[in-house]
Amino acid sequence: MSDNATQTGEGYVDYFAILGLDEKAKPGDVRKAYRRKMKELVAEIGQAELNEEKRSHYLLEMAKLNAALYILRDTKLRDQYWKERQELIELEEAWRRAAEEGSAEADQLRRTFDTQIRAFLARYMEELMLDAGRDKECVEASNWDAAHERHASKLLRYFRQSQHQQILERLPYFDFTPIEFDWDERRKTAAALAAGEE
Amino acid sequence: MARNSAVAEEKQVDPEDVAESLAKAVYDGDIVNFRLLFNPFSPARKTSPESFDTDKYAYLLPSDEKAADPVFQEIVAQVKEPSVWEHIQQELEANRPARMPSSLVLKLADRAVARGKYTSAAQAYEQLRVRQRMREEFLKIGDTALDAGDVPLAVRAYRIGAGMEYNYAAFPEPLPVVPNYQTRALILHGDYPARPEDAVGMQPAESLVWTALAYLLNSDEAAARLERQPMERKVAFLDRLIREMDPGWDAFVAQCGEAVRLARKFNERIQGIVRQSDGSPDGLAEELSEQLGDDPRRISNALLGFSSNCEYDWWQYVKDLAYRHPAGVLFVARQLVGNLEIVVPRFRSNSPLADALDLRAVVGAAGVTDALPAEGTGGGDDGDGAPSEQDPIQ
Repeated sequence: MSDNATQTGEGYVDYFAILGLDEKAKPGDVRKAYRRKMKELVAEIGQAELNEEKRSHYLLEMAKLNAALYILRDTKLRDQYWKERQELIELEEAWRRAAEEGSAEADQLRRTFDTQIRAFLARYMEELMLDAGRDKECVEASNWDAAHERHASKLLRYFRQSQHQQILERLPYFDFTPIEFDWDERRKTAAALAAGEE
Repeated sequence: MARNSAVAEEKQVDPEDVAESLAKAVYDGDIVNFRLLFNPFSPARKTSPESFDTDKYAYLLPSDEKAADPVFQEIVAQVKEPSVWEHIQQELEANRPARMPSSLVLKLADRAVARGKYTSAAQAYEQLRVRQRMREEFLKIGDTALDAGDVPLAVRAYRIGAGMEYNYAAFPEPLPVVPNYQTRALILHGDYPARPEDAVGMQPAESLVWTALAYLLNSDEAAARLERQPMERKVAFLDRLIREMDPGWDAFVAQCGEAVRLARKFNERIQGIVRQSDGSPDGLAEELSEQLGDDPRRISNALLGFSSNCEYDWWQYVKDLAYRHPAGVLFVARQLVGNLEIVVPRFRSNSPLADALDLRAVVGAAGVTDALPAEGTGGGDDGDGAPSEQDPIQ
């Protein structure tokens, strides 16, 4: 599972996939896909019965679409984003291999990965998402305003942290010894603990 | 000469102390102390200047009573299990960040759950990367128990599951969610209820139950799982949850009864002042302030069980109440009396939740009554002109 997750870059936001495009898409394709997706989303919101959970969900979806347009329509920014993303995925793979082989490099790779993953997620999954909300083209299509930004800033931090967590959970152990879980036994333990037994 | 004696006095660490301190951290379900024992300055390391013999670190060792506990001895045996013990010694001697033994951390997490230390359990499971899965297991046990009508088991399982929630918005790292009822109670009462029905306890039954679940479980996700359950089961769940969280709930009910009695007396006085006033709202507010003085605070003081007169602001009453009786804040409202803002009991007497929690009884045989005018300076009307048949305290 973890290998597949790394191969597909799970946890590293893929703005091309969000717009349903591949990485060769031109800026014109990006704009077209963005408008279509945003129109669909706005229509869906219009029909939905909104509660707190759904409001947060739609706000996040809107922020993702805005960020996708903001990053991918700018060739320089998009190349930089894609390059950093690919490098990070490769770095995760290299660390995983080094940890499995017990290589002395593992700890250095882990530290480098740890620094870079934080920087990547902060930039592409929070800062640029907020910047996108102030972009004229995004504001026009999504009606994004200051109130959206206020709500989104907490939401985006949550999103970034949860993506970080998702990636961390599949990585090799480094400050604990490896452990195999017997989930039948774990379920029994959980049942006993819930029943107040030890 | 001095150098020679320094070399000769190499620090000695008693392996028994190391084993017992680790076992104590596991026994107590204390992930902080467990990690500390592997830190560079740990008294368990020969290279550290710290020692178990000093007062500073004596707390890391078990008391005689704890050391005699068979469960503790079982954990000591687990620590001393040859492969684990060899690993511990190797890590404490190495000059690098230690790799802690996962089998002990897992035992520690389970012990933390058993002792109700859900924050510590969440951190320990998180280190082992099984927090989400364990959380899901506990919530599933809760769902199954609730479907089978076993409310006590469901409450315990949900409390554990919800206690393992993580706050991903925490900065700079996600942290376990901690019970912060004093802060969240203020958010519940952030807006002044301009109309009686705006008060938390005056919401329709479904909304009140949802608010109560989300507030008490401190997890929207866990509360949302319970939404599909029939109303009576959710009420039974909340009844059990509140009484389990707050063993002093019955005392709060009695205090609430006293506050209702005082509020009714005040209302009679207020009605008298209203009848004699010239009718202008500003004049009435002044007159109420003048004639009642600080007396209305007696209602809030009674609600909190204060014997002496306490001159809190409304938010201090709410915060204090949330600390003493977290669920109590679901059945009170802010109330302006003259120029003074206090906190009074306010809930629907026909609410199934209030009934289950014995709060309906405190309204008394008279059933519906009005204790204080809802607008503070106005009449007891609820804004739509209809009498509030379901509102005992408005």
